[in-house]
Amino acid sequence: MADAPASPGGGGGSHESGSPRGGGGGGGGGVREQDRFLPIANISRIMKKAIPANGKIAKDAKETVQECVSEFISFITSEASDKCQREKRKTINGDDLLWAMATLGFEDYIEPLKVYLQKYREMEGDSKLTAKAGDGSIKKDALGHGGASSSATQGMGQQGAYNQAMGYMQPQYHNGDISN
Amino acid sequence: MRQARPYSGIFCGGVSARTGPHALPLARIKKIMKRSAGETADGGARMISGEAPVVFSKACELFIAELTRRAWAATLEGKRRTVHKEDVATAVQNTDLFDFLVDVVMADAGGGGHAAAGQYDEDDGALE
Repeated sequence: MADAPASPGGGGGSHESGSPRGGGGGGGGGVREQDRFLPIANISRIMKKAIPANGKIAKDAKETVQECVSEFISFITSEASDKCQREKRKTINGDDLLWAMATLGFEDYIEPLKVYLQKYREMEGDSKLTAKAGDGSIKKDALGHGGASSSATQGMGQQGAYNQAMGYMQPQYHNGDISN
Repeated sequence: MRQARPYSGIFCGGVSARTGPHALPLARIKKIMKRSAGETADGGARMISGEAPVVFSKACELFIAELTRRAWAATLEGKRRTVHKEDVATAVQNTDLFDFLVDVVMADAGGGGHAAAGQYDEDDGALE
């Protein structure tokens, strides 16, 4: 469910990230670049949002950030994995990652991530319920058992799941998103 | 399968068939996670919950934005308008939180053999 559809043959991102890297990213000799890095186009988009419109970003900076992001994922994952090892659990879950980030100094990320995760869970719940429920009354009923947000959305039950999502996501978006 | 929905736009600002409502592709995040997830006590591969890449898709967004803002500060410090990898390296070196990245940016800086970053802005028109 959580796996995004993998694009055939590596997809558009790998085209851009397949450019020659000036000796960067040492160590990964046999591993394909699309297995080691996130697509540079996505990274570039997020970077541009973080600086003023008159600012520019050189390709070498994008590539460096691309490597840093992979290192970030590895850094957090290793810490979360150690925790699972100690607690004799086989699966790394979202809370393990939040714990690892807090432990490693990224406590500022925790609140926005909790909000994001909450939205994701509600959306997943909504889409499953919407797919199952044939008419509005069932949908409304199901949402009533759905969670904390139900009181805010129940009144709009007849308008469909999309509008409900808009209703309670908008304020959270402003709270949670730090990138402008 | 995940699909883009009408309200996806307010979720993260970018929607594509590849990433769904998330700004970064979950499958790719999972691949990178697997490389450092290690093994379970009985030698099996450690598993990754479906939510974990979702957490990372947002966490990486926050991380990229923060690193970029700090690099931009270094760019302005040098009275330039284009962020270069030296600025990213400066941001890493000036931020305790990013200590784990020192090796990454230093290895990177060694490869190029560039002159001072100040000379780059002549090329601004060619970038982007």
